[in-house]
Amino acid sequence: MEHYRPAPGTLLQDLDTPCLLIDLDAVEHNFRLIADTYRDTVCKMRTHVKNLKSPILAHMQIRAGGTVGGVCAAKVAEAEVMVEGGITDVLIANEVVAHDKIVRLCSLAKRADMKVGIDNTQNLRELSEVAQAQGVTLGVLIEVDTSMHRAGIRRVEDGVELAKLAATLPGIAFRGLMSHQTLPGRPDKQTRLIEGRRFMQMCLDLKEAIEGAGIPVDIVSTGETWTYDIAADLPGVTEIQGGTYALMSASYGYMDEFAIAAKILGTIISTPRPGVAIGDVGVQALASPGGVLPSVEGMPGVTVETLHDEHIVLRTDGTTPLTVGDQFLLHSGQQDILVNRWDQYIAVRKGVVEAVWDIPARGCHH
Amino acid sequence: MERPIFKPIGTPVAQLDTPALVVDLALVEHNIATLHAFFQQREAKVRPHVTAHRCPALAHKQLAAGGTVGGISVTTVGEAEVFADHGFDNIFVANEVVTRQKIRRLCALARRASVIVAVDNPANVRDLSAAAAAHGVTLQVVVDMHTRLHRCGVEPGQPAVELARVVHAASHLELAGLMSYEGPILTTDPEALAAESRQCIQQVLDTRELLERAGLPVRMVSVGNTSNYEIAGTMPGVTEIPAGAYALLDARYGPHRPQFTPAAHVMTTVTSRPEPGTAIADAGQKAVSVDLGLPVAADLPGATVTSLSAEHCRLRLEGVVDATLRLGDTFWLIPYDIGTCANLYDYIHAVRDGHLETVWRVAARGQYR
Repeated sequence: MEHYRPAPGTLLQDLDTPCLLIDLDAVEHNFRLIADTYRDTVCKMRTHVKNLKSPILAHMQIRAGGTVGGVCAAKVAEAEVMVEGGITDVLIANEVVAHDKIVRLCSLAKRADMKVGIDNTQNLRELSEVAQAQGVTLGVLIEVDTSMHRAGIRRVEDGVELAKLAATLPGIAFRGLMSHQTLPGRPDKQTRLIEGRRFMQMCLDLKEAIEGAGIPVDIVSTGETWTYDIAADLPGVTEIQGGTYALMSASYGYMDEFAIAAKILGTIISTPRPGVAIGDVGVQALASPGGVLPSVEGMPGVTVETLHDEHIVLRTDGTTPLTVGDQFLLHSGQQDILVNRWDQYIAVRKGVVEAVWDIPARGCHH
Repeated sequence: MERPIFKPIGTPVAQLDTPALVVDLALVEHNIATLHAFFQQREAKVRPHVTAHRCPALAHKQLAAGGTVGGISVTTVGEAEVFADHGFDNIFVANEVVTRQKIRRLCALARRASVIVAVDNPANVRDLSAAAAAHGVTLQVVVDMHTRLHRCGVEPGQPAVELARVVHAASHLELAGLMSYEGPILTTDPEALAAESRQCIQQVLDTRELLERAGLPVRMVSVGNTSNYEIAGTMPGVTEIPAGAYALLDARYGPHRPQFTPAAHVMTTVTSRPEPGTAIADAGQKAVSVDLGLPVAADLPGATVTSLSAEHCRLRLEGVVDATLRLGDTFWLIPYDIGTCANLYDYIHAVRDGHLETVWRVAARGQYR
């Protein structure tokens, strides 16, 4: 566990590095944008805390507005951290399978409105048995595979069968449907619109089929950062599972109405050859899934050449000279993997530390 | 903080909460015994590079196995502090320490441990000297040289000699010697491995000679790693090898180092069987690092890891396993790179003969400063 707590008022230039910064102006801008987008829509935001790992940030979006009043999480342990942090409505947007974890989920249901994804009858029956034994009711949402080829049902008839079973089992409240979409690359607005609608329509088709079987569907939880504006206008969608929008990531640069709020501050520790500078932050601290490199903020002519475990190799064409002791800022390619490697956010505004926030759900992969 | 359900000692491994980082004690003991035995009767010794696992309990096992310099190697001051807190008193920070705060911490650490640090820049040497004087401590310093990996380090030969002179002349610094980290040389061709290793290390040894001729003391020459320890360890003039990956091994080193066995696995549970030929499990990129490569499914014939997303592992299944692998089943992944993977966990579940024997803290996890 790290234990670095610079005092509020500390200047950026006096911070020890590397550290994970959160730019408060940027994150507040992102939260306001969501509040404005969903102020008058049926559809609301359910912020995904797998990206934030922090109850205070979840509360900031809920207070800003535009939300369902709750969050979604990827894991039971994350949900525990959120409930301990005062959140009372959590959707685990994932299947919870092992018996231990189902027991933990049911224990949470005594304190919060808990909902979980399902894609399998055997799992649904076990959820029912444990919920019944614990005297709780679990909300369930059928996960629909729209584009990920991951978990989730593939055929409408399978979804209807699962809904019928969920509607009859004790300890289970059938609530609706969920899905998560992916679109690789940097799509333009038109492509986002067409593909986003096509994917989410698969959820809406299943909703219609289930309702046709006489089972009410009150939640359709779909959409994410790259479809947040599309889903807001799609009748039938009740909530969006946005995560990346809050702190943003270089790979979502095409969604430029959101501001980059998560940054890594590093220091040059060596300038061994002309045009080359070595920084004190590497793959361990930055995360580089699939070899995606971070980008450098505000240093014209400086590029990232490669990452080592604890070092970054920067190249400069001379426009921005780099010397030992200089600080630099990086934007990560994948924000949630980055945050999962840190114990604290150093919250800064205009170059001054305002607060230090723990990241209590870091490492909560259970 | 990782929040597993801790099971009682003696629990069968398949009942551990997943995803879990599981170490097989018999295998890790075999790996340690193999490498440390090599150094028992030699002049060169191993200095376990503990950034490879960040776990003090495991590092103590390494030092207890003999064949060592009696100390460890780390990458950051924060790691050094954690290991000092766990009883290690001979610590080599094999890296440049530059910021004011870190230099102060390094000096404070030198009051309770023998501390060695690397340099590649005269201004940094002056900063270290001034801080050591102010703290009333002596820091041992090695000159870091660039031989293969295009990272930190001065050029071998005269540039290294000049920097060594600056160190030697500085008050409160003691010139200890030279280091170069040439990085893993991963090849199955023993001749290519030997040639490339010798080519790098010889530059360090040539520089050692220059230093000695100039009347500068050299008691420490740190080169080599898990990929070439047996070559580095038999070159006269090399005093220590900061090897780390050998203890737990991983899928990256595995094919090239058959004398060791992967001893660390991530145990994961099947959470979805959405269609024939596909299984989804609960260990994604937050539980198995994919920064350097994909993990490999162990002991599950017919199963191939095709991708990991943030929270999920995707398997392609062919043959019998497609019919038999069920929801709730557990299986094992060998991480591609154990260093980045161990850094995702707070706990290592250490098992023997398939049962939990102890739980170790990954106490230096997240110590990037």
